[in-house]
Amino acid sequence: MRILDFGFSIFDFTLPSDRKLKIKNRKCLFCVCLVLGCASAFGGDAPKPGEVVAGVSGIKFAFIPAGELEMGSPAEEKGREPEEVLHRVKISRPFRMGVTEVTQAQWRAVMGQRRGSFEGDSLPAAEVTWQDAVTFCVKLSDIEKKKCRLPTEAEWEYACRAGSSKRFSVGEELSALGWYDDNAEEKPHPVAQKRPNAWGLHDMHGNVAEWCSDFYQAPYAATAATDPAGAQQGTSRVVRGGSWSAFERGCRCASRGNANPAHQMKTVGFRVVMEVDE
Amino acid sequence: MVSGLWFLAAHISRCNGQVRALGVYKPDQRLGRKAEGLLAAFHGEVLLMAHTDSSKGTASGMERRGFLAAAGATALAFSLGAARAARADEKPKVELGLIGCGGRGHWIADLFQKHGGFKFVAGADYFEDKVKSFGDKFGVDASRRYSGLNGYKKLLESKLDAVVVESPPYYHPEHAAAGVEAGKHVYVAKPMAVDVPGCQTIADSGKKATEKKLVFLIDFQTRANTLYQEAIKRVHNGDIGKVVNGEAVYYCGETWGNPTYDANNPEERLRHWGVDKLLSGDVITEQNIHALDVAAWIIDEAPLRAFGSCGRKGRSGAGNVNDHFAVIFWYPNDVLLSFASKQYGQGHDDIGCRMFGKRGTIDTHYGGPVSIRGEVPYKGGGSGNIFTDGVVTNIATFHDSITNGKFDNATVAPSVRSNLTTILGRTACYKGTTVTWDEMMKANEKLEFDTKGMKA
Repeated sequence: MRILDFGFSIFDFTLPSDRKLKIKNRKCLFCVCLVLGCASAFGGDAPKPGEVVAGVSGIKFAFIPAGELEMGSPAEEKGREPEEVLHRVKISRPFRMGVTEVTQAQWRAVMGQRRGSFEGDSLPAAEVTWQDAVTFCVKLSDIEKKKCRLPTEAEWEYACRAGSSKRFSVGEELSALGWYDDNAEEKPHPVAQKRPNAWGLHDMHGNVAEWCSDFYQAPYAATAATDPAGAQQGTSRVVRGGSWSAFERGCRCASRGNANPAHQMKTVGFRVVMEVDE
Repeated sequence: MVSGLWFLAAHISRCNGQVRALGVYKPDQRLGRKAEGLLAAFHGEVLLMAHTDSSKGTASGMERRGFLAAAGATALAFSLGAARAARADEKPKVELGLIGCGGRGHWIADLFQKHGGFKFVAGADYFEDKVKSFGDKFGVDASRRYSGLNGYKKLLESKLDAVVVESPPYYHPEHAAAGVEAGKHVYVAKPMAVDVPGCQTIADSGKKATEKKLVFLIDFQTRANTLYQEAIKRVHNGDIGKVVNGEAVYYCGETWGNPTYDANNPEERLRHWGVDKLLSGDVITEQNIHALDVAAWIIDEAPLRAFGSCGRKGRSGAGNVNDHFAVIFWYPNDVLLSFASKQYGQGHDDIGCRMFGKRGTIDTHYGGPVSIRGEVPYKGGGSGNIFTDGVVTNIATFHDSITNGKFDNATVAPSVRSNLTTILGRTACYKGTTVTWDEMMKANEKLEFDTKGMKA
């Protein structure tokens, strides 16, 4: 267990043999020093929103408090799709969410070697089926001794917004927040190079779209709900956040995607939710 | 009785024309299963109409449940009404008036009735026989059947919550605007208008409706189809990359048939508005709008200019609509759209749109397959009976918007843009030159129908 930063620096971890922290960006070392001892990893005082801890695996998780959001988008939002019907959602339990999309190094550490169209330790692990992502979470749960899983669609949007009701989690300028069609040059980029949201989550907009646990239905059940988990059945699974090939409108907080869960796509990866003991 | 029989005959003829216009996606096959099913549905409707006398009045007598059209009080009124309902599953009844009681009016009224949340209490049409037929079928009291050019005004003065505008397109702006002015929720058939001022009137009516907390819904069926929605959302999100160019087509047989009538008689023209250039807006606006609307939906812009030509060689009869069009549209970012249509003869039917990007192609067919091929494929599927299913969905949306107080009226702006796109193409074809959007808007040309001699 390690206590780390608030998510503003670029780290990478070599896993699992040495389990040592490898800090590529040494300028950020002071961040680590500042926060060491200031937060407890999985217990003690209630963590602050966005507080970051590293799991046994070395994967960093930000604390996401319980709360509520207006899920969807207002009628006047630019690029909105009709399915994004605004409705109140309550997230009743806090959770932790991966500060970044699962990287190829992290994937390799948990699942073993694999090859993809784009290779690089810090690149997001893409071309993974929905079931592959679920399997990763199951194995990670064994490593972390905590339940790890994919986020629900509601948890994803709640975490992405981090309190924002705008098109994007921070401001209106997507290029500062993520890699997408206009700036990505038709490829994914190393995680956490763009500005994080208010809860320290990087690349919630763009880079790779992220699998959620829900079956996709359009429109979603647009009545007020607590911890909605999507339809009981379906043929495709929700992906969120847009990717390096997506247009700006496809990377909005409320933008919904979906994909065949058996497909491996260069534009789709995932990030992990770790449940919090109550 | 004589007029009733006349109507039935005319209705069957129109239905056949409509089926052919549907353009079921089966190249070189005249009618597919869906069209046949639809044809059967139309025949079923005709049979129902034949039983009108015996079923007269059965639709009436349902107790109204606390509906109020008063601005701001609608949702509350419904919740109170619903609470008082004898049966929990009974939908709050919206009291409706139908403006335009022709074939389409009858057909859609049946779907409104089947929804269960509406009750027709009034009808208006220029022709008395059509109002009578409608009133008899749907149990509308004789005192609330209005005819003549101003019949709709009397209808709007009577007590009702909403109106369904199914009159000839030339009259849609006038009827829809009057509906909003009278404080009614408005459901309007496509196309919304035949000219630029008419489109502007519709746009203004939509905004005014929102201000007055009224629902104003444009009945585009394709936009209600979930396969189209999903495929086009994926394009909007970037799945085929930036659209470079594309094509839209609408190939079909003679919608509305090839009737013979006295084209100098305005009443006869009104009866046969579907083959009248001025009253329908011509084929590119009246029917082809379905194809151009999908293209406009995908590109999500208004065209900058258009060049084209059209003609009338395949049709006969007294009508004067053109039966084939070819237009090139230029959109922002140098996106090119080629459009072609025909409305005559036998053979290939299709209402299709293909748009190409570097990473893929979206391919849509009304009633046929909808898919994306390329780097991020979308299997999609068959879009089914959009003609009916789209209307059923829109009717449900109309009811939901009224009962739950949703007044954003989001269908208006994109629909008006598509309508104007057809008018730009038509103007370019008529002039035989390139016409820009700005020129069209500035010219603001109004079409005028001479009603001299017609009943007020």
